Amino acid sequence: MKLARYLKPYTLFALLAPLAMVGEVFVDLLQPKLLSQIVDDGVLPQNMDVILSTGIIMMLTIILGGCCGSASSAFSGVASQGFARDLRNDVFSRVMGLSFQQTDKFTTGSLVTRLTTDITAIQQLVDFALRMFVRNIMFLIGGVFMMMQLNVRFGIVVAVSLPLEVLIVVLIMRFANPLYTIVAGKLDNVNTVMQENVTGARVVKAYVREQSETERFDAANGALMDSNLKVMRLMALLGPLLMLIMNAAVLAVIYIGGLQVEARELKVGEVMAAVTYVTQILHGIMMLSMMSQSISRASASAKRLNEVLATEPVISDGQGAEGAEQGTVEFRNVSFAYPSSTGRPVLAEIDLKIAKGENIAILGATGSGKSSLVNLIPRFYDAVSGEVLVDGADVRSYELSDLRSRIGIVLQKSELFSASVAENIRWGKKDATDEEVVEAAKIAQADEFVSNMPEGYDSRIAEKGASLSGGQKQRLSIARAVLKKPEILIFDDSTSALDLRTEASLRQKLRESLKGTTVITIAQRIASVKDCDRIAVIDHGRLVACAPHEELLAGCAVYQDIYRSQVRTGGEE
Amino acid sequence: MPPVPNMGPNRGRGPAGPHSARITAEKPKNGTKTLKKLLRYIGRSKYLFFMLLAVMLTITVMGLLAPKIQQVAIDSITPNENRSGVDMDKLVDTLILLAVVYAVSAVMTYLQGRISAKLSQVTVRTMRRDLFGSLVHLPIKYIDDHRHGDLMSRMTNDVENISTTVSQSIGSLISGILTVLGTFIIMLTYSPLLTLISISTIFITIFVSAKMTKYMKKFFVEQQIILGKINGHVEETVTGYRTVVAYSKEQDSIEEFRAMSNELRKTGIKAQICGGMMGPLMNCISNFGFVLIAAFGGWFSIQGWITVGTIQAFILYSKQFSRPINEIANQYANIQTAIAGAERIFEVMEAEPEPVGGELPFDHNDVRGDIDFKNITFGYNKDKPVLRGLDLWVKKGQKIAIVGSTGSGKTTVVNLLTRFYDADEGTITVDGMDITRIPIEELRRSIAIVLQDTVLFSGTIGDNIRYGRADATAEEVAAAADKAYADEFIERLPEKYDTVLSEGGSNLSQGQRQLLSIARAVLADPKILILDEATSSVDTRTEMHIQSAMVALMKDRTSLIIAHRLSTIRDADKIVVIDQGRVSEAGSHEELIAQHGKYYQLYQTQFAGSKT
Repeated sequence: MKLARYLKPYTLFALLAPLAMVGEVFVDLLQPKLLSQIVDDGVLPQNMDVILSTGIIMMLTIILGGCCGSASSAFSGVASQGFARDLRNDVFSRVMGLSFQQTDKFTTGSLVTRLTTDITAIQQLVDFALRMFVRNIMFLIGGVFMMMQLNVRFGIVVAVSLPLEVLIVVLIMRFANPLYTIVAGKLDNVNTVMQENVTGARVVKAYVREQSETERFDAANGALMDSNLKVMRLMALLGPLLMLIMNAAVLAVIYIGGLQVEARELKVGEVMAAVTYVTQILHGIMMLSMMSQSISRASASAKRLNEVLATEPVISDGQGAEGAEQGTVEFRNVSFAYPSSTGRPVLAEIDLKIAKGENIAILGATGSGKSSLVNLIPRFYDAVSGEVLVDGADVRSYELSDLRSRIGIVLQKSELFSASVAENIRWGKKDATDEEVVEAAKIAQADEFVSNMPEGYDSRIAEKGASLSGGQKQRLSIARAVLKKPEILIFDDSTSALDLRTEASLRQKLRESLKGTTVITIAQRIASVKDCDRIAVIDHGRLVACAPHEELLAGCAVYQDIYRSQVRTGGEE
Repeated sequence: MPPVPNMGPNRGRGPAGPHSARITAEKPKNGTKTLKKLLRYIGRSKYLFFMLLAVMLTITVMGLLAPKIQQVAIDSITPNENRSGVDMDKLVDTLILLAVVYAVSAVMTYLQGRISAKLSQVTVRTMRRDLFGSLVHLPIKYIDDHRHGDLMSRMTNDVENISTTVSQSIGSLISGILTVLGTFIIMLTYSPLLTLISISTIFITIFVSAKMTKYMKKFFVEQQIILGKINGHVEETVTGYRTVVAYSKEQDSIEEFRAMSNELRKTGIKAQICGGMMGPLMNCISNFGFVLIAAFGGWFSIQGWITVGTIQAFILYSKQFSRPINEIANQYANIQTAIAGAERIFEVMEAEPEPVGGELPFDHNDVRGDIDFKNITFGYNKDKPVLRGLDLWVKKGQKIAIVGSTGSGKTTVVNLLTRFYDADEGTITVDGMDITRIPIEELRRSIAIVLQDTVLFSGTIGDNIRYGRADATAEEVAAAADKAYADEFIERLPEKYDTVLSEGGSNLSQGQRQLLSIARAVLADPKILILDEATSSVDTRTEMHIQSAMVALMKDRTSLIIAHRLSTIRDADKIVVIDQGRVSEAGSHEELIAQHGKYYQLYQTQFAGSKT
């Protein structure tokens, strides 16, 4: 209901839509009357004039009704689609403002569903409510009203059959809903087996497991069929039962009508009208029961959207510091823990000062906190305690876009976007010339393979770069960061997919072209970092040493360990 | 995902997203042929199908009878020349008859629901089973060449579409046709002339609705395309969110989104206006029909050609006549979609399955493990060979390290030995036997592979190790885990070997996953071993475990290792350097270093200055 405010700009249309619908319903209710008029006053007394004139009136009202109906759906279309657009935009903007700890919570799939399926569900509900809800309610109320007016006794028929229908719908739905959950679970199982066999086809074949996989699938498949049948059998009851009640009501109306005609309380035509009305009322109930399903679906959607809208970004702009230095980074007694995890700090009391133009590496085992450390620099996350300074000022005092413009970061997972190669590189600098783009690609060792692509730099990257190898993707992301020419450049284990030769020439090129840039490199291989000015060794969230390669090799136990595991160990022991 | 050789299979796919693909494929290419195949599936439950037909025929007849009986009931309370009051006896009799008709109709409708549920579920299960049956026997090439999402969508969306179509559309279609036919016949018996008039309005209805649907479809397709774009944009922005933030591209992204969002609104409104006109328009036409019938009927009755009762009956029946027409049109569209889906399913089913191999006697238990690649040429694309005349031999029990730069064809060697792909030229032999001439299953049973990207299956840890040998006892599984240095972490898990892996083993670390897949290979106990060494980052401890596990695993086996570590390389009996699709150098570490060739260069860039 909180979402109702999004309808406000379209109040006029939201009011016009049901109003126009009233017009259509009115014409619809008029039709049987006019039709009976043609029969009663025209055909029966064989009066051609009445037939023609009533026919013309009928045509005119029908056209009027049609116009009302079309107008209603147009009005409600304007209102509901506008509503959906505004809501969609707001949700997306909200998502774009979230911090990582918050986006981590929502998975990509769920955000996509929220922005498309969920919004469509709500949009349809709004559209439905503005038109069909009004229509059915009017038919229902109008029908009851008309019937009671015809004869109070018909009220009994309505009073009995109406609650009965509602009861049946509620009962069947109550039994069916848990069954639907079971079906969804079984369907998941079938999909999982399938998914595993598509992605793991090599292993299935290598271990000659086709037969047993087929058996596993058959079991899941059979279970899905059984649970599907169960719910379908139950649902097969709903339609006939509702129809039965409706038809029984029709019978009752004719019977009661007969008695009333006998008693001269009613005319035959009125009995026929009552039959039409009772059908209309019960039909309305069926429609409303269907609508209740879409309401419950939409309310689930609304809940999911409100969840996003209610999430306040935890990291926001500072007051706009300037920064007195250039290209320096400093960690002052920094501790950090992921908000979702329980307690155990990822980083503890880190003190590290990185000078302008320094080439520093960060080394450590997986989970030691290397990535977390560099994530604090562009404020992907905020430190729990201590201070992170960039260019001499606390990162929290910068405007986010200003802070991030000083920093280039190449992530562990290269993320490319569906656009041309050049456009992807140009992310680093919007107005870069073609020469600059090529130059950046050359530094990143990407120029060669890009030039070999059929359309060179204009080749489109499809599906997040599925047609590129891991190494190619990494080189493009590096080119992007290089083009940005930031003061501080961070490589977060971003050369792992490069073979050693390419990596070596990349390092060479970077050294030549990035004079004066502060470079922070996270790496796994000692070979990749041993030429750095200093290597910071992180172990279990603590900075154990920071010195050049030779020094560490001589005096740092953790470093020696790593070194041994990479270079010296083999099968000897 | 298993490593996909970066030179070949995934190349050359257009920028079209999954959504645009689905829309353009909406119309089946060869409808009748696919329909026939589909009907054959339904035909497997002939008995059910004919029962469904019989039930539906009854429902239709009841549906046609009901208004007639209702008319009689109304007549019995209508005063006429013969009686002034209500014919109570006749009324009660008629109402009882009507009640029977309604009851029969309800029971039959229930039966129809059950039968069509059964029919659709049985059909779909058979279809899924057959589809899966062909899926597991598809060549790796087929799977590499197709987007996984696309294959999955065939298994899920397309099958689901067929299921709904069989359970709903076919029913509505048949009952619609039966109703139209029945009504038509009854109308004819009343008055051929008036029938002609009602038919003419039907034609107008069909014509207009066809036009409108076509127009509407355009908007809906447009809407789907934009929705697909939005989908893609959100997915991309969210998965790449870190990069978006790092480059402060949030605002650009929002603007792009807003433009699409607005576009969606515009088409949405257009589609809705168009769709919203459909109902009233149809209403107008059908009401126009009534007026025509009333007018002409009146005129006919004045001429004395028909009775008043006929007009009333006609109005009733003509309503029944026009209602199913729209329904039929709708169902026809649904069936088209389903057939298009079925076509995609049959495409998978009819894809050439993997060869089963030759007939030469070969028992994986008696394999020695001599491997010989003779003059192998191969390319994932015929015009871009990855291997060009590769020669490589491995003697039984030898450890061979394969090194080379990215894309040099290291992984391809593995793909060929396991017959995931077949060489274009040349032969590969195991123990002197051409691998294409021995049963493929026996060949694969004699080889175990440990891939860089580990593949785990839903199930328990034990199940996953047992993947190597299904009939292994619990002790054997534990022993294998022990050898693979995996028992340590398994024992620490709350349920040990019965711990259920969450999707793809995401609750395990990369290193643990690797240890599991090594344990699997240990349990399989093959004569030939292929190791794709992991480059990915694991912590030092696990790393050492993995190393030791691999060393243990390689003992007494012919091993091919795609090597990334110096330790592995030095330990190998022979190092093979692949360059430009052939073996450029081979020999021991010392020999190759002395040669100052390609290997020397590789070695220098990796380890220069760190020699011990």
